Amino acid sequence: ELEEKYGTSISKGLSSARAAEILARDGPNSLTPPKATPEIVKFLKQMVGGFSILLWIGAAFSWISFGIQFAQGAESPFDNLYLGVVLALVVILTGIFAYYQEAKSTNIMASFSKMIPQQALVIRDAEKKELPADQLVVGDIVEIKGGDRIPADIRLIFTQGCKVDNSSLTGESEPQSRSCDFTHENPLETRNIAFYSTTCVEGTATGIVINTGDRTIIGRIASLASGVGNGKTPIAIEIEHFVYLVAGVAISIGVLFFIISVSMRYKILDSIIFLIGIIVANVPEGLLATVTVSLSLTAKRMAKKNCLVKNLEAVETLGSTSIICSDKTGTLTQNRMTVAHLWFDDQIYSADTSEDQTTQPFDQSSQTWTALSKIVTLCNRAEFRPGQENLPVMKRVVVGDASETALLKFAEVVLGDVMDIRARNKKVAEIPFNSTNKFQLSIHETDDRNDKRFLLVMKGAPERILERCSTIMINGKEEPLDSEKAEAFQTAYMELGGMGERVLGFCHLYLPENEFPDTYPFDTDSMNFPTSNLCFVGLLSMIDPPRSTVPDAVSKCRSAGIKVIMVTGDHPITAKAIAKSVGIISATSETVEDMAKRLNVPVERVDRRQATAAVVNGMELKDMSLQQLDEVLCNHSEIVFARTSPQQKLIIVEGCQRQGAVVAVTGDGVNDSPALKKADIGIAMGIAGSDAAKNAADMVLLDDNFASIVTGVEEGRLIFDNLKKTIAYTLTKNIAELCPFLIYIIASIPMPIGTITILFIDLGTDIIPSVALAYEKAESDIMNRRPRNKSKDRLVNEQLAVYSYLHIGIMQSVGAFVTYFTVYAEQGFLPTTLLGVRVNWESNAINDFEDSYGQEWTKYQRTYLQWTGYTAFFVILQVPYLTHGMLRCFQIRTSFLTPRFQYWFVAVPFAILIWVYDEVRKLFIRRYPGSWWDKNMYY
Amino acid sequence: MARDKQKRSCGQVLAEWRAFVWDPRSRQVLGRTATSWGLILLFYLLFYGFLAGLFALTMWVLLQTVDPHVPKYQDRLATPGMMIRPRTETLDVAFNVSAAETWQHYVRLLHDFLEPYNDSVQAARNAACRPGRYHEQPDEAVPNVPKRACRFARSALGPCAGLGPPGTAFGYAAGRPCVLLKVNRVINYFPGENKSINVVCAAKREEDAARLGEMAMFPPNGTIDLMYFPYYGKRVHVNYTQPVVAVQFLNATANEDHHVECRLNAAGLRADDERDKFAGRVAFRLRINRD
Repeated sequence: ELEEKYGTSISKGLSSARAAEILARDGPNSLTPPKATPEIVKFLKQMVGGFSILLWIGAAFSWISFGIQFAQGAESPFDNLYLGVVLALVVILTGIFAYYQEAKSTNIMASFSKMIPQQALVIRDAEKKELPADQLVVGDIVEIKGGDRIPADIRLIFTQGCKVDNSSLTGESEPQSRSCDFTHENPLETRNIAFYSTTCVEGTATGIVINTGDRTIIGRIASLASGVGNGKTPIAIEIEHFVYLVAGVAISIGVLFFIISVSMRYKILDSIIFLIGIIVANVPEGLLATVTVSLSLTAKRMAKKNCLVKNLEAVETLGSTSIICSDKTGTLTQNRMTVAHLWFDDQIYSADTSEDQTTQPFDQSSQTWTALSKIVTLCNRAEFRPGQENLPVMKRVVVGDASETALLKFAEVVLGDVMDIRARNKKVAEIPFNSTNKFQLSIHETDDRNDKRFLLVMKGAPERILERCSTIMINGKEEPLDSEKAEAFQTAYMELGGMGERVLGFCHLYLPENEFPDTYPFDTDSMNFPTSNLCFVGLLSMIDPPRSTVPDAVSKCRSAGIKVIMVTGDHPITAKAIAKSVGIISATSETVEDMAKRLNVPVERVDRRQATAAVVNGMELKDMSLQQLDEVLCNHSEIVFARTSPQQKLIIVEGCQRQGAVVAVTGDGVNDSPALKKADIGIAMGIAGSDAAKNAADMVLLDDNFASIVTGVEEGRLIFDNLKKTIAYTLTKNIAELCPFLIYIIASIPMPIGTITILFIDLGTDIIPSVALAYEKAESDIMNRRPRNKSKDRLVNEQLAVYSYLHIGIMQSVGAFVTYFTVYAEQGFLPTTLLGVRVNWESNAINDFEDSYGQEWTKYQRTYLQWTGYTAFFVILQVPYLTHGMLRCFQIRTSFLTPRFQYWFVAVPFAILIWVYDEVRKLFIRRYPGSWWDKNMYY
Repeated sequence: MARDKQKRSCGQVLAEWRAFVWDPRSRQVLGRTATSWGLILLFYLLFYGFLAGLFALTMWVLLQTVDPHVPKYQDRLATPGMMIRPRTETLDVAFNVSAAETWQHYVRLLHDFLEPYNDSVQAARNAACRPGRYHEQPDEAVPNVPKRACRFARSALGPCAGLGPPGTAFGYAAGRPCVLLKVNRVINYFPGENKSINVVCAAKREEDAARLGEMAMFPPNGTIDLMYFPYYGKRVHVNYTQPVVAVQFLNATANEDHHVECRLNAAGLRADDERDKFAGRVAFRLRINRD
């Protein structure tokens, strides 16, 4: 039937001609990369974004006035030409900088294509051929063996012990066995399909290719991921808001003063030059670069703490995160099965599940434990890879499936050298686990030389094991298995199962020596030995345990006002158990089902609003409308989503975003990549994560540890606070750059500060103290605040603008003007002489300009004095250095620029004033929270 | 957000604005209650009042510390500049000999400039000093005593003194214009290291010298007497008369531009600063048009 459907033959495969035909129809078996925006368009976008457009206008005006002056034959028209060139250079350089930063964020599709297997073994023209995998077509017969990557979506037609690792696709941590049987309607669940890009762990299989390239499951996820739009990061929105604000101020002041200067009978050309000056003074040219540098400094700091940030803006996003949708496997848990509980002698013991266990603390004196440990050791096919004797047990690599590995490691920790015990108890026969028997059995010689009996050990599904037992071992003695003991077993089994753990039963039997002598030929096919009336010894339950740091991290998130939601592909029971143990569902809260159980009423009659926790199954989610999902997200503070598909993860993330939340998503599998991309910040796991997940993410946790996210949140909040300080600092200086222009226009004094000097400050000296603010320490309550509200807690709010512009900025300007007047006065021009001199001062023809003392100055001498004034003004704009008491060495280095060091001291009173004022402001805010002062002065 | 804004109708926007301007519910004007406005206005009144006071105070302190007689620094004025009279907006002397209205304003400017140099004024105000050496007037016991200025005889400028009959007009009427040259005042400046100093004029480019023709300097040689130095500042040296040199262009070729450069010839004075074209020298354009 399959042969017919795909037009192929299982034995002969496709003919080469037919394959070529299909290849031509379907295209190669590879993922199509998304259409990329041309690089030049990206580059040009950077050139006109943000403040660039303002600066371009400034440059254009400069060139226009140059053109006019040149045509009029004025003496020094080149100043304006240079100014225009400098402005253009500034724009181009910042553009290149931004472009370079953006280019670093990598292309998601690049890694999808890397995942494609290189070669595949194909049957074509009745011959086996090695073909490049991208030549595969639908209907090809391919052979796979352990270790191969699956070259396409394959319907299996022949398998032998085949297991595939689907973790990158579905998030299931254990290898899945594959057979030819159709077991489920859902292609993701059925056992007879192996998926493109997953790995075959063991066994061999043959199958028919049913989907290639973009039509494979992974291809669909890839297109889903690339189809997900990447919204702007919160910090990008904030910066944009800031740009609008400053551009608005710049343009309105510029136009206002253009009108004023025109009506004051300045020449239009002069007015245009003033306009350029005002724009340049207002635009913090260096700020965007400063922000980038600050962010990358934080990113570096985070990288040291195992958070690798791929997209710089994501640094801050993490700080404003209000919901974390965390994957379970590998992030919250250790991603390995570990023995968690034991039940023997009618009692439950818990085992240590931490990452670095070396001993097990439970009571090991009972004879039953001795018997149980023997079964655990012997009835196990897993082995350590050789050559790892020096490694801690938990770190050693094991060949075998997850539960056997868990048991092996457990035995190794408790008993010591397992391989030696196995060698002393030689195995004579074995029946491996299979899904019909649901048990595993082996027969061993004993290590007791006097005891010639064989020991039969068995493990498997507890109910199946119990069926085969007639006795039970209690305190080392065999006792008949009566209904009371069976009841105790049921209770224990239910309890362990209820904790989401996988439970295995263990039993044994000493074969009587007379019936089974040394030479007895055990035959596993005919089972010529007893497999019933065995002695039940105990239960062991295993779980993928939570990481030890996670509960603490979750509670930190809680206190930081961040909601942690678990989204997993795992079973609801397991998910809930892990959620409870890490605190995602706190000890006191209940789900609707819990309440129903406690109150003994049907689930429908429970008031849903009373339940703080919720466990939502993927199936339920499927039937939910968006409103219902919103309701769930709104009403419950503790939510676990289980059995979710990639599509559903996306829906959950979108649901959270609809609530106005900033959503962080953690994940490792390919299945997570659409959600990672959709999230405001996607966090991929560095060790367990697939390349696709890492590429879709904005951040990679190098240690796969959820606790690192908390560090990230702290850094993110810190950088937001510090950027605020940076911007406050920058805006302050803007006023001090702007005021000279306004007073120059109105009072016609010699120019206090030149346009190029402003550019030099903004792009040169100012970047360093601004960046220094990125090193500010966090305030103590940083992790006890709620996440900032995207729409209310802006980066630049009214208070910040008012405080920097109208308070500190004005103070600084006053200080700067005092210095300016001092410089001129000490050189011969008293303040009163300076008012209204602009026209004569700037005239090239006047070379005997008289100062307050009767001396006469040439144009160049005046200009030189004006430069001295610029320098003094420049120095005063560095006053915040003094006030913040930082970068002392930098001050010393700039002092050579100042013609006279004492100009510094003119500014000192103002520096002290600014410092005192700021401290008083903060004191009042602390002292009287919520007061009028607090409301108006806190930014 | 943006979409929400678009959805709102014009009326709603207006209503919102009205609510912002005056919200009767919370009694808020422009987003603040009356008390809040009062407080904020009071705050800014106090704040800016304080700043203005502080500014005034520091300026007052500044003026107290400034010496009213001699500026603290003079490093910018190491080389005094030079200037011409008549001074126009472009450092040009260009006129048409036959059209009186093109040169009359030069004549008027020169007359105005030379007003204080009248012999009567000089004799009344200034002292006759010993020529050929600096006229130093050190403060004895009292600081900043008023200093006497030396007489400069306007007549020393010869035909360029403008003392002849009105028709001569500093030579402009005859196409032989006078241009006055002066050295900028700089307090406590001693030019020439005790040797005599003079001003020389020439065409900027040597090859143009012939077309510029002969020039006559007044006083002869363009000498500036050392007795006019030093200058003590306008506060104590009230009647200081700045020495002037006149240059008369005797037969400059008509109807073409002449670029003239005059420099102060004094020992120890460097008049070749590339950037300051007026340090110890002055350049101007001369054009005499004839019909």
